[in-house]
Amino acid sequence: MDIQQLAARLRSEIGEANVLTDRAQLRTYECDGLAVHKVMPAIVTLPATTEHVQAVVRACVETNVPYVARGSGTGLSGGALPHADGVLIVTSKLRSILELDADNERAVLQPGVVNLDITRAAAPYGYYFAPDPSSQQICSIGGNVAENSGGAHCLKYGFTTNHVTGVQLVSPTGELVPLGGKAPDPPGYDLLGAFVGSEGTLGIATEVTVRLMRAPESVRTLLAAFASTDDAGAAVSSIIGAGVIPAAIEMMDALAIEAAEAAVQCNYPQGAGAVLIVELDGPASEVEAQFEQVEQHCAAARAAEIRIAADDAERALFWKGRKSAFAAVGRISPDYIVQDGVIPRTALPQVLRRMGELAAKHGIRVANVFHAGDGNLHPLVLFDDAVTGEAERAEELSGAILDLCIEYGGSITGEHGVGMDKAKHMPRMYTDDDLDTMQLLRCAFDPDHLSNPGKIFPTPRLCGEVPGRHKGAHPLQEQGLAEVF
Amino acid sequence: MTGAAVLDDLGKVVDDRVRPAGDEDAIEGVRPSYCATPSSTEETAELLRVAAQHSLHVVARGAGTKQHWGKPPLRVDLVVDLTGVAGVVEHAAGDLITIVRAGTAVTDLQATLAENDQQLALDARFAAATVGGTVATNTSGPRRVLYGTLRDLLIGITFVRADGVVAKAGGRVVKNVAGYDFAKLLTGSYGTLGVITEVALRCHPLPRTRRVASIEVPDGEVAADLARRVLCSQIVPSAVEVTQPATGPASVGVLLEGVEAGVGARAEVARELLGVTSQIGDLPGSFDSYPFGPGDVGLKISTTLSGVGPVLKSARGVGDRHGVPVSVGGSAAGVLYAGMPADSDPAVVERVLAELRAIAGAYDGTVVVLTAPAATRRALDMWGPIRGLDLMRRLKDQLDPEHRLSPGRFVGGI
Amino acid sequence: MPATPAFDDHRPPSLELVEDCVHCGFCLPTCPTYSLWGEEMDSPRGRIYLMETGLAGEPMTDTMVQHFDACLGCMACVTACPSGVQYDKLIEATRAQVERRHTRTVDERLLRAAIFALFPYPRRLRLVRGPLRLYQRSGLERALRRTGILNRTPRLAALESLAPKLGRNVQIPERIRAAGRKRATVGMLLGCVQREFFPNVNVATARILQAEGCEVVVPKGQGCCGALSVHNGREPEAQRFARAMIDSFDRADVEYVVVNAAGCGSSMKEYAELLAGEPAYAERAKTFAGRVRDISEILVELGPVAPRHPLPMVAAYHDACHLAHAQGVRSQPRQLLAGIPGLEVREIADPMICCGSAGIYNVLYPEPARELGDRKAAAVLATGAELLITANPGCLMQVASSIQRQGGSIAMAHTTEVLDASIRGVALVRSPKRRRLVDHVRAISKPGAISKLRAISKRGRQLRRRDGDPEQARRASHIRRSA
Repeated sequence: MDIQQLAARLRSEIGEANVLTDRAQLRTYECDGLAVHKVMPAIVTLPATTEHVQAVVRACVETNVPYVARGSGTGLSGGALPHADGVLIVTSKLRSILELDADNERAVLQPGVVNLDITRAAAPYGYYFAPDPSSQQICSIGGNVAENSGGAHCLKYGFTTNHVTGVQLVSPTGELVPLGGKAPDPPGYDLLGAFVGSEGTLGIATEVTVRLMRAPESVRTLLAAFASTDDAGAAVSSIIGAGVIPAAIEMMDALAIEAAEAAVQCNYPQGAGAVLIVELDGPASEVEAQFEQVEQHCAAARAAEIRIAADDAERALFWKGRKSAFAAVGRISPDYIVQDGVIPRTALPQVLRRMGELAAKHGIRVANVFHAGDGNLHPLVLFDDAVTGEAERAEELSGAILDLCIEYGGSITGEHGVGMDKAKHMPRMYTDDDLDTMQLLRCAFDPDHLSNPGKIFPTPRLCGEVPGRHKGAHPLQEQGLAEVF
Repeated sequence: MTGAAVLDDLGKVVDDRVRPAGDEDAIEGVRPSYCATPSSTEETAELLRVAAQHSLHVVARGAGTKQHWGKPPLRVDLVVDLTGVAGVVEHAAGDLITIVRAGTAVTDLQATLAENDQQLALDARFAAATVGGTVATNTSGPRRVLYGTLRDLLIGITFVRADGVVAKAGGRVVKNVAGYDFAKLLTGSYGTLGVITEVALRCHPLPRTRRVASIEVPDGEVAADLARRVLCSQIVPSAVEVTQPATGPASVGVLLEGVEAGVGARAEVARELLGVTSQIGDLPGSFDSYPFGPGDVGLKISTTLSGVGPVLKSARGVGDRHGVPVSVGGSAAGVLYAGMPADSDPAVVERVLAELRAIAGAYDGTVVVLTAPAATRRALDMWGPIRGLDLMRRLKDQLDPEHRLSPGRFVGGI
Repeated sequence: MPATPAFDDHRPPSLELVEDCVHCGFCLPTCPTYSLWGEEMDSPRGRIYLMETGLAGEPMTDTMVQHFDACLGCMACVTACPSGVQYDKLIEATRAQVERRHTRTVDERLLRAAIFALFPYPRRLRLVRGPLRLYQRSGLERALRRTGILNRTPRLAALESLAPKLGRNVQIPERIRAAGRKRATVGMLLGCVQREFFPNVNVATARILQAEGCEVVVPKGQGCCGALSVHNGREPEAQRFARAMIDSFDRADVEYVVVNAAGCGSSMKEYAELLAGEPAYAERAKTFAGRVRDISEILVELGPVAPRHPLPMVAAYHDACHLAHAQGVRSQPRQLLAGIPGLEVREIADPMICCGSAGIYNVLYPEPARELGDRKAAAVLATGAELLITANPGCLMQVASSIQRQGGSIAMAHTTEVLDASIRGVALVRSPKRRRLVDHVRAISKPGAISKLRAISKRGRQLRRRDGDPEQARRASHIRRSA
């Protein structure tokens, strides 16, 4: 099917203003937050209604054209990387809060609603939306659903999947399917649970029903500076070991602190080898008691300085540095790769040490920002593309770090998703049988392999085939719908 | 293939841990032919490969506490008894996770975790239930309010497909988005997608103190209203239960957990919210059990928060009108259980079910018949209307194309 | 690529600056055009991307230019960016390239020519004053608005709706002695639109400086600072204005150059970059730029000495983009207002988002400007304040016109007018020609407006003039009504 014909059809179905084919415009959509991978889509659509989304998907299905959904384009795994011969379906015009039902602690949202805007809308009722990725001021709830986004507070409150109770989606075969709703425990298979985190491969959400949390009575935040990440790690272990589950424990090392300081002047303690942000929330009496414990544990772990946020403004400042860390790293290095590995928390000190050794061996600097509470690391591998060989060494080091995470029983991605960036690493974590089984789910939803093809799985599976090795080029490779790593 | 040949092949996998099935192995009146007891994931896989070879219909069984839940299987040839695949593989207390085999009794798991002051924050309703069975039926209790259910506690799973292939998903770290969340798909799947052999679960510290505030009130609506106030307050209760027996007053029970100083203060607030006649005391019996016993009609009702009151009112009303005692008890979070005696007229049960479905539906909820006597089952649509059923069928077709795993037990004839 | 690359070698947008962008998207929620349209190409991230593709060889197509043109230049993205991307420099360089190398449509060219033949020339603006005043007072304005003819030509309608109510003109002396001990000698910019349409703001500014111990020098013959020109890519014109401005003030020998219009101040602080390529002016421009202060900056820097008298009112403060984002001046105006006893200052929701004025943006692109203006007006009205304080004539006109469109009513003042009233111990006053005002409102506003005005009177927040001189009152009315 001719792209021009498809574009014309889409224009007539969803409106001229919502279909882009101008080259300059298409190019602005060729990457998401992971700018190192760029692919220009053939057509960009910006549906303004659920019917539009359905019309676009149906048109793609009928013409056998692959499509990729995109929210705010802030993802860090290339999940919204377009397909060169495909249609990009952007949800940024679907940004209404359809319903805010504080009585039932629910909100119903279009997929383009910005994460933070949900909390803003719920705040007057004393509620908030718990998953808080660092990009929450711009990332969309649809994107959060696709990636099962986490954030600093997921140690205590869980991820997007624990806060989504319903989704209406356009399936890859073009049907409008409701899953779940406002009430808990819908009977049948938990397709909703499988859909969240499926990275756009099982369809496009057109409505998301989320659970709102009651704002805590009290929030106390502490910033502690340590001489080294070892000490900070020890503090984390002893806090958790004492049975305290903070709402968040975040750690940054010296390089990350330097970047954050340059960007937002957060005024973290000078010369700290590591900084810990610990936040407790809940009923005031509980928080008070536990906060004292946390202070003691930090002191016992040889904290060089402990600061306690006196008010909301100071608390916001503590967090500002942490939340800007990724983007701020651009100030101390021309290029960088951000990783998203997970390790068991108890392995933190050893892993950090091993990472330091690996970094030294490769001659590459690594800044560390992470959710210390759940072992989710974000090593920022810093390099200068202009220097010969540095980019390659950085890639190598990134891979080595992931291997390290797997070695310790962790995961290759804690919250950014696999996308296309980590598809090649999936076999480090899962066997062929595991990956094959997962793809059976995909086949159930997307038999034609048109919904965000080429993401998550290194080797695509033809639906209806018997599992086993393929000889020669895979049919989907021949169709140009997938690559094998 | 003759029965003897099949037995033989099964025996090659598990030696003498296979036998012809007896009456005690019947599932809701459906009699299997064989019963095998593997001792590992590998043996389970082998068994299923043999089963696939011989096109056997398979049902997995743990402690058998919920065999009477769901619809009766259309057919069973082989019962795979998972109680041999048991034991806590690992309890990484510092990481707050545990890896445990499916056949382990939940109580045994709790005992092991308690050695390090931790728990699986899931309420056991059946004393002997296994971890695998709990996952397969997605049972939960009052403390879902704070801790969630298996959806929120299960972080990794190993299972055997109908064709005997072993697959795993998730891992041993809480934070993990690599690949699809099969753990969620298998949770509550009634054994129709695969046989679970091992799971990874997140643990919580055992609370230092607990306190229960409760109050007796004239009716379910008052109870629901008070319960909701507590649920939506800032005292962070672990559980808020409403109980409405077939006749008589209703009650609200609030469980608070935490450190001594905190729990005391919060319990006071709970009492203020509940009212002057509220008391601090022990956990009421309803915390640990369903309002229905073996052989009774048991329903699971889900609804939004604001639907709890109307559901309670409707249950009392329909019970009164049709002369059948309907007891209801459950969480103010919108998951209630209802029970009717075993000897209730099936036609009446059907009417009660219809009314409850209507009221729950008005609040975006559902009613599922968990269990009922045989004659009653036949008169009922046990699962009710299912959103996304078509996709569910397609998933089943992909994972078990021959429909040999627990056939007919689940939604939409799956 | 066969076509000509978008940018040539004369001051293109810097690749180095472009590469500072890590594509994080934090700028998107603060961008007015992204908030309106939700499309990547009309976001800072998207525009930077277009620049990057242009630098890599993509041609300067109509589409590309369209997206650059649609940028308001509000710099909210600069404030929001965690990587420190200097988008202001990038868009300025880009606009200059567009102006030089891209041919616009005839209509567009004519409109821009007309605007730039008028706005940067105070004398020409003065010529327009007379007829405009007549238009407003004669009833012609009322009649024309009733016919709705203007709605068919949005740009004319925009211009028409933006025009403020004019009072009599005022001359400011060239040298004003300090009151009490002299603490500094400062130059003062008169501006163009400010000078001709809001002369009272200049009067108030001069009075405050005097009261705070400054000798004020107002060079005669000073022209336009070139802000509109530089913000719209008219580089040679901007440089010409900048050189003339530097000449005017260098002659005056002052320690600071005080500016009361946000757009002007931000431009003048960037003269060093604008004239970096001119050996005769490069150093002088640097020195000059280092002397430029917004009125709120200099007052806070010097520290207040003149006592403040109470102004018991509820006000909302609107951050002009070129003051808050481009100059980073946010706390100083608030500090000054906080120093006025009895004045409650409320914050406006979504303060980062531009009101849509953006220089001449609201004349060139009335539709998006109107939408943004409406949003800002709603946010302002939602504060419940009776007075809106802002630091830019453009914002004032834009928000006034939007509030009027919504049938709302709120008094408006420049920061200096409020401060001036407090220092002089006078109340802020409504123009004595109340009846005419009411008639005017009835003619063009929605039905509720009249009762709103009367309700304000009833609540006793009627603003009375206590100074004796009615002639002065007419000349220097402190409040612009939105009607």
